[in-house]
Amino acid sequence: MKKTRLWLLFVLLISGGWVHAQFSASGTISDDEGNPLVGVTVTIKGTTIGTISDIDGKYKIDVPTSSATLEFSYLGYTSATYVVTSGASMINVSLSEDVTRMEEVVVTGLASSVKRSNLANSVASVPASEISGITVPTTTEAALYGKFKGVNISSNSGAPGGGMSFKLRGTTSINGSSQPLFIIDGIYLDNSSIKAGLNVVSKAQAGGATTNQDNPSNRLADIDPNDIEKIEVLKGASAAAIYGSRASGGVVIITTKRGTSGKTSVRLSQSVGVNTILNPQGVRQWTEERVLGSNFASKIDLYRQSVANGQIHDYEDELFGNNGKLYNSRISVSGGNDQTQFFIGGTYKNEEGIVKNTGIVKESARLNLNHKFNDWLDGSVSTNYIHSSADRGFFNNDNTGTTMGVALTSTPSFAQLLPDANGNFPKNDFAASNFLETAAKITNNEEVNRFIGGGSLTAKIFSTGHHELKLLLNGGADYYNLNTTAIFPNSLQFERDGNGLNGVSAQGSTKNLNSNLSAFLVYSHYANSGISSRTQLGVTQENFENNFILGTASNLVGSQTNLDQSGTRDIEQTRLIQHDKGFFGQEELNYKDKVIATVGVRGDKSSNNGDVNKFYFYPKASVAVNLHEFMDMNSDNLNQIKLRAAYGQSGNFAKFGSKFTTFTSGIIDGQPGVEIDNLLGNANVAPERQKELEFGVDIGALKNRMLFDFTYYIKNVEDLLLEANVPWSTGFITRVTNAASLQNKGVEIGLDYQVIRTTDFNWNTRIGWWKNKAEVTKLLVPSYTTGGFADFLGQFRIKEGHSPTEIIGVGNNPDADGYVVYGDAEPDFQMSWFNTLTWKNFDLTFLWHWKKGGQAINLSTLLFDLGGTTHDYDDVDLDPNHVIGNGPYRVSQIGVNSDVMIEDASYIRLREIGLYYTLPKTFVKDVNLKLGFSGTNLINIFKYNSYDPEVSNFGSDGLSTQVEVNPFPSSKRFDFHIIADF
Amino acid sequence: MNTYKFYIRSLYLSCVTILMLGFSSCQIDEVLDPNGPSLQAIINNASRSDLQLVVTGAESLLRKQLNFYYFSTGIIGREVYLFTSADPRYTGELLGRAESVLDNAGFYGTRPYSGRYITIRNTNILIQAVTNNAQKLSLTTEEINGYNAFAHAIQAYELHLALNMQYQNGIRVDVADPDHLGPFLNYDQSLAAIQSLLTTAATELSNAGSTFPFKLSSGFTGFDTPATFRLFVKALAARISIYQGDKAAAATNLGESFLDVAGDLYAGPYRPYSTSSGDQSNEIYRTPNQSEAFLAHPSYVNDIEPGDDRISKVLARDTLKLDDLSSTYDCVVYPSLSSPISLIRNEELILIRVEARIGSNNTGAVEDLNVIRNAHGLPNYSGGTDDASLVDELLKQRRYSLYAEGHRWVDMRRYGRLSQLPIDRPGDDVWQELPRPVTEVQ
Repeated sequence: MKKTRLWLLFVLLISGGWVHAQFSASGTISDDEGNPLVGVTVTIKGTTIGTISDIDGKYKIDVPTSSATLEFSYLGYTSATYVVTSGASMINVSLSEDVTRMEEVVVTGLASSVKRSNLANSVASVPASEISGITVPTTTEAALYGKFKGVNISSNSGAPGGGMSFKLRGTTSINGSSQPLFIIDGIYLDNSSIKAGLNVVSKAQAGGATTNQDNPSNRLADIDPNDIEKIEVLKGASAAAIYGSRASGGVVIITTKRGTSGKTSVRLSQSVGVNTILNPQGVRQWTEERVLGSNFASKIDLYRQSVANGQIHDYEDELFGNNGKLYNSRISVSGGNDQTQFFIGGTYKNEEGIVKNTGIVKESARLNLNHKFNDWLDGSVSTNYIHSSADRGFFNNDNTGTTMGVALTSTPSFAQLLPDANGNFPKNDFAASNFLETAAKITNNEEVNRFIGGGSLTAKIFSTGHHELKLLLNGGADYYNLNTTAIFPNSLQFERDGNGLNGVSAQGSTKNLNSNLSAFLVYSHYANSGISSRTQLGVTQENFENNFILGTASNLVGSQTNLDQSGTRDIEQTRLIQHDKGFFGQEELNYKDKVIATVGVRGDKSSNNGDVNKFYFYPKASVAVNLHEFMDMNSDNLNQIKLRAAYGQSGNFAKFGSKFTTFTSGIIDGQPGVEIDNLLGNANVAPERQKELEFGVDIGALKNRMLFDFTYYIKNVEDLLLEANVPWSTGFITRVTNAASLQNKGVEIGLDYQVIRTTDFNWNTRIGWWKNKAEVTKLLVPSYTTGGFADFLGQFRIKEGHSPTEIIGVGNNPDADGYVVYGDAEPDFQMSWFNTLTWKNFDLTFLWHWKKGGQAINLSTLLFDLGGTTHDYDDVDLDPNHVIGNGPYRVSQIGVNSDVMIEDASYIRLREIGLYYTLPKTFVKDVNLKLGFSGTNLINIFKYNSYDPEVSNFGSDGLSTQVEVNPFPSSKRFDFHIIADF
Repeated sequence: MNTYKFYIRSLYLSCVTILMLGFSSCQIDEVLDPNGPSLQAIINNASRSDLQLVVTGAESLLRKQLNFYYFSTGIIGREVYLFTSADPRYTGELLGRAESVLDNAGFYGTRPYSGRYITIRNTNILIQAVTNNAQKLSLTTEEINGYNAFAHAIQAYELHLALNMQYQNGIRVDVADPDHLGPFLNYDQSLAAIQSLLTTAATELSNAGSTFPFKLSSGFTGFDTPATFRLFVKALAARISIYQGDKAAAATNLGESFLDVAGDLYAGPYRPYSTSSGDQSNEIYRTPNQSEAFLAHPSYVNDIEPGDDRISKVLARDTLKLDDLSSTYDCVVYPSLSSPISLIRNEELILIRVEARIGSNNTGAVEDLNVIRNAHGLPNYSGGTDDASLVDELLKQRRYSLYAEGHRWVDMRRYGRLSQLPIDRPGDDVWQELPRPVTEVQ
């Protein structure tokens, strides 16, 4: 290996030559309106010779031949080519904005990218203007809703600080994660969701479900969307193979903003807003008759008294009625000279939630530097520090009646829960807790201190007219310390007077360090025949370490919250250590932009595999054919036809620890012992493997004002690792085995159209439509149910020939397993409609998002029914005979027919709308002022009978999304913006 | 030109160095599980202190998911209710509300079942570790017998709890090799196999010297030497004999047990609970007079004889209603988070002797019944002394003496009287057994 490499280098070195200039071409580059464009890349076509335009838009390039074709390219603009000769060497160029983004470069290798018009995959790319330019996204994922095809983003709850799950082209794993890999500026970003230790109070894990239901945020939420220049999404293995063993769920590549040389520009922006509950349910309206006919009959006196005193409360409003104020301040400064460019971004966010005492405060600071050491060596550095503190309330499933949502379900409006003049809360006789007291007194805080830093060096080892060899070094680290603080004082109803644990303080500390290094050689060759090639070869290394410590104290001493101020203490620690190494090689061939072909392979090994030094190989190959380059297309109506096909493989690791069978500790009477764990490990565990084949066509028409794209993919995931149940008489619960395969097939269709383009009025519209269908194609263990709580409450079933997200329940005419299929968590299709309208100084942007189909398991309504307080308890539209109220009807169906709990989760939302007005430049000298209004989720249309059909009690864990148990309800928001550019 | 060449060379060298570094350090070292001791290490290379850890672990596991055993047996046996706003199954499926039936994946049946077998797994690991490391650790035959007897006794105990839940479904007894599990034995075969494990344990204990090579928790105070632990094993054997309907064997086994008619009714080994760090608290406990409640079935109070001090096992409370059920008493058999749970106690042994005597020594049976009655503030038994009357009285005394200890449902089933258990709502069912857990069916 080493020998070949040296030889190759040697050959390359001696074949290089020095080229002398014959003449210089020069000129000025401007946009359509005559403003100079800074930083435009000018290259001599078919060579590596190039330069960039300066601050005045001027360029000068030495041409070694008597004539040449110059190519002018600039991000966001359509590139242009001009022929120069020694006689006509002065060329002024005007570039027009690239509405269809055909020119944008898109990542295709670990050390290379290609412009979209030559791309063989459907790689989604979302620019800054759409990420943070319209509304104030709560998190990075929230900024991506509906903005590209092939994704299913779902919010787990509405708690401040986020908590989202993200699936690209369907479910790709049954037990493992289907979440994509996130890479920010080349750094492997940790996106864990770390529990806060609420279970000790909620006991949510004690009943039917064994997975954690603390519903923590996921750590991608730390990244400030304002810093992001663009997000590229590699949706399946055909594109993501370059990331090998970690890429089965796809890869989301985030590139942050960087400075450009020229005048220092400063942007100050401030937004002020408010959020409110998205879809209040209302509460049951009581009458004497209803009270007497309910579980609350013995409280009739209280009811009468409350009515007489006018003390009937809308407790939904008391709990969720906080008009949370939202403040976001932002400063960014960028600039630099030819040698060094910088970008500084700072954000301060202070947002309240719709429940009192919830909210998030976040500060983020970024410094990105680019430096050109000389004409052959460039370096760049990205640094980001984030501090965030989120108070998330106490919601979701519990088995103790203590979470605010569950306590609300059994509290009628005539209960008296408001505090007295001294702030003392009365006992809630209708539930284990007074949720208003809970909201006032508990703490459930996640505080993060995070540093993400990375750097890269690009060295041109040599560069001649036709050859170029570059060395790229890249490294980075993502470090954070997450402190979770959950405090339940012993003055709470459910902790005092011998209830509960007499006060609980759970304090977690998680340290996470990801680091990665890579070194690549990239050799480019431009042959006279018109075939250019690019070869890259390199090595990668990644290390992951996570150390979670949770201390839980109960029997607190008075109002103390330190762990040692307690009668009982428990400690829990979990560590994760993983080392991966690999290599990557890729060969790209481009024949005159007519045919572009790529083959590559990644090899990975990992300490997480059974055999730590075995390489697993992930090949890829793709071809794009620009048919229009073959034809003589003078028509303005049809400008591009590209056919493309791509194939690739990627992997997914087993959960950490899958190879071990271990003991956990058990203490009895002060003596330590070891207890065998539930999981029977698999010492030969190997990664899951995904194979994806993708076809597509891109058509550009009407002078490329219209771009149509169509993609069909089929991806098979093999060797799926299952924590399959073993007979419990073994003394184990599950064992890890490669025992299943599944298939996702899907279609993605997009249409970009610049409908109107005049001096005063522009209208661009973009429509996306996508659909995915999944099926378990092989299952070596018997079919089984998973997720949820119990079959009669709706669960998912893994069964050969069926969708892996199929929702089953009990009911009439059951199948061979004894179940009835009531739906599927996966939507039938999704559609988005994105519009940008500009009229003079006004910009209007709005995004509609339609999710059609897909079911969710609504257990919130069921709990309200059992508590007798559902908003529609007395309506009679469910009962076929219209006699029994909806509440009692649903209760009567428990264990009989799960249909009432499994609901259509379709929605149509106005995800984002933003209206901005740019003040005339004369208004304030040298300052560009922009005022605006934006809204998120302002219009929501759905039939789902709860706060929001987009929900997950179990977080983003495995398959279990779309199960609802009294979550923190989601909200809609309005913001007012003022933006100043200097 | 010269500088150009210079930097080419320096770069060339540095990149070669980097690539060489990349490959020379290409090996990845095995990462040991950072989170706990591994199974292989204990089986293949155990120290004496490791064996102690496994013994203590097994004792600790006796408590694993045990609260669900008491919930399910107590609810189906119409001794208690569990009201919780969070799960409808305690008042639904377990009581057979309307059309609902038991679920073979329902936690109320699967958790207590798997919990028992996890204890059994730990004891099988103990036996394996003792066998594999006996030579290395120079274990004496007596010591080996000590370890094995403990393992066999614990296995028998846990298997019997599993069998109580599964009844006519039968259970697997041979589960030593997780890859090759033994067959399901029917109810009678299972009882016989359990009895045979106890016989093995008793024999081993007779040949285990005067002390165990390991320490037991305070729950086994008084039963922590081979000789005294054997009293516990024989008590279990007596329980199995009476379930088998073998009254003579029951009497014999009782003779070698810790039965003491004049002694403390609560004497016997226990599973201790504690709220201290890392330990397990008694999860049956619910704070009295709350809406989240472990309630007495109303029949307990309705049917009790006046003056019976066992009324103290329940505590009056505000009426609590849920799902068309209601009760005005909390069950306070386990009055705190650190209340121990008995494995088997003297009061049951006396009642086993009553049962063993009925039919052959009814006078003796009445004498023993009176021991129980008098101890609880009741006068001597004055009913008929025919077998049937005595069985009625026996079941009544067992109901009150062993209330909420997992016996009522099993006793009524043994005597074919499940239909006599009270039904709270029209359409409710009394289940005969819990379904065989879903993973065992496949």
